[in-house]
Amino acid sequence: MFLRIFFYKIKQLIRMRWLVGWNFLFPLVLASAFYLGFGNMIKDDPNRLDTIEVAYVAGDGINSNFLSVIEELSKETKDHGKILEVTSFDSLEAASDALNKKDIEGIYYQHDDNIEIIVTENGLISTSLSQIVKSYQNYQASFEKILSEKPEEIDTLIASINSNMSFLKKYDFKSGVSQYMQFFYALLAMSSLFSSWVSTAMMTSLCANLSECGKRFELAPGHKLKAIFAGILAGTLLQTLSNTVVICYVEYCLGLHWGSPIYMVIAITSLASALGISVGTLIGSIFKNELALSMVPLAFTMTCSFFSGLMMGGIQQIIQNFCPILNKINPATVFTDSLYQLACYGKTSAYYQDLGIMVLMIAICLIISVLILRRRNYDSI
Amino acid sequence: MSDSIVKVNNLVKRYKEKIAVDNFSFELKQGEILGLLGPNGSGKTTTINCILSLLSFDKGEIIIFDKAMSPKAYDIKSKIGVVPQNVAIMNTLNVYENVDFFCGLYIKDKSKRRRYVEEALEFTGLSDYKKYKPKKLSGGLLRRLNIACGIAHKPSLIIFDEPTVAVDPQSRNAILEGIKEMNRQGASIIYTSHYMEEVEEICSRIIIMDHGKKVAEGTSNDLKNSLKIRESICIGMPAINEDILKDIKGINHVYDAKYNEGELVISLDGGEHNLVHVLEYFSEKNIPFGHVQTKLPTLNDVFLEITGKELRD
Repeated sequence: MFLRIFFYKIKQLIRMRWLVGWNFLFPLVLASAFYLGFGNMIKDDPNRLDTIEVAYVAGDGINSNFLSVIEELSKETKDHGKILEVTSFDSLEAASDALNKKDIEGIYYQHDDNIEIIVTENGLISTSLSQIVKSYQNYQASFEKILSEKPEEIDTLIASINSNMSFLKKYDFKSGVSQYMQFFYALLAMSSLFSSWVSTAMMTSLCANLSECGKRFELAPGHKLKAIFAGILAGTLLQTLSNTVVICYVEYCLGLHWGSPIYMVIAITSLASALGISVGTLIGSIFKNELALSMVPLAFTMTCSFFSGLMMGGIQQIIQNFCPILNKINPATVFTDSLYQLACYGKTSAYYQDLGIMVLMIAICLIISVLILRRRNYDSI
Repeated sequence: MSDSIVKVNNLVKRYKEKIAVDNFSFELKQGEILGLLGPNGSGKTTTINCILSLLSFDKGEIIIFDKAMSPKAYDIKSKIGVVPQNVAIMNTLNVYENVDFFCGLYIKDKSKRRRYVEEALEFTGLSDYKKYKPKKLSGGLLRRLNIACGIAHKPSLIIFDEPTVAVDPQSRNAILEGIKEMNRQGASIIYTSHYMEEVEEICSRIIIMDHGKKVAEGTSNDLKNSLKIRESICIGMPAINEDILKDIKGINHVYDAKYNEGELVISLDGGEHNLVHVLEYFSEKNIPFGHVQTKLPTLNDVFLEITGKELRD
């Protein structure tokens, strides 16, 4: 029964014209519109992260190990390109003057035991400079701990660092990801969350309190949850297919690089599609009103997409400054951040955290839905 | 196994303060067509939904095929076919796919299912419309598709919930004939309607419902025989005086006589050759009259006598 319902659901969904319009065609149209708006800027982006011109304040004395790290990053090696262009200043004031004159893009300086960063604005450069400090601090802490507790494992740590360096080469800072690609990431987020519509449409025909067809379905001697999962699988598959078309269109037809291997982008997007479908299943299990079943997914998708930067670049940074938790619970932001992390820094802990949050959201939505949907008779229909 | 297919005992269903079904009991026996007749809002569909375990109920017991009905009683559900009041089909699937989809929820074997689907389409006269999408079908054909989806798996109990609402007379006749044929083939049937003519035509036993209660039960003849008025004679007359009315009321078996807007209505409580006796009286008195019509009691009269209102009020 599972397979029959799965195939019939696929057949039904691809015959829904509004669904094909919104989930297949609209993202393509929007991607084309974005390309017309930002295409040239992406291809010749002044903010593209090439080499970052950074200064350190030598006068106050900077950690010599950290100095070695940034000097290493200012060399072009077989593992990575020239990531930093490092200059030194005797005082913070002199470095700040240079920063204000835009001679440099950031300053490292020692404050007590910490290395601090000064930049003129938030964005890719500030994130990259901060990531360098974070990585340095992580490795420093690991070295100190291993040397004091298990000095015999120091070789393992060095091997790990070397492997991360080759990883850095693969997903290096020069992957050519423009800040404008954020709009395309947000577009993929919107497209994935649109699948919540797919699942409310799917749910409507399976629940007695939502439609006449649902009544007929629930009168049949079959497991309702099995049927719903067949529908979820069908919806996720279709949405992934739709997103794959958009991803390939942007990469190959518009010539804009996603910043990561295309199969990785497709894999993460399919997870986001599953998230959209799960959210739709939850909406379908809570709301009974036909209007609500079409408007709530739409409102949910557009609100999440707006706050992930679909209509306004930089909104994620604003939210991060004022209410960072919103960025962690907005599925669209979590998704765009995972793509961004992967494109800029590779498979960092932040990237895995984003994937974890998405999986957790899927689990929460499905568990609540199952609890609501497992009953098969109603007080009123 | 007893010959009882459905047994409902003291069913009570409340919507907050409103009682939708009030201590309702009935039994459907093997091979019967049982009619649930009542005006809109009398509790017919609620009763059906409770029987099918779609609706929870407050009190009572529902036994189908000698087992207690529950939402997960799949063995019982596999033997039930339902034709709901509103057309319940998938608009994105064509006629064949719709019947196949719903039949597939009951019948796993592919070749058996294919045969059943073909037979259901043949039975409902939809064989020529297999590839049609529902939006291309007329109202009557949609109703037939609704029936095909409900009966394709050859259930032994079929519940029809007002299947002829908004259907043209030709399709209605086809549907009623189809129901009789299914019954001849062995299916026991519950048929709800507020059309007394239909219920009278096809049902072997009738239950009349009002305000969620059973107000009468029996065969069509039993119910009509329970009436005080057994026959009505309507005679067109330009005018009539009180003396004549008094004389008519004195004729044997005349229960009542009323004159209203050019028509005299004489109600009789039994007897034979009543029309002859009335016309003989008019002839003797040389009273002119126009059209003459005799009416036997209908289920509407039964409902009217019991509840004091028309069935379609």
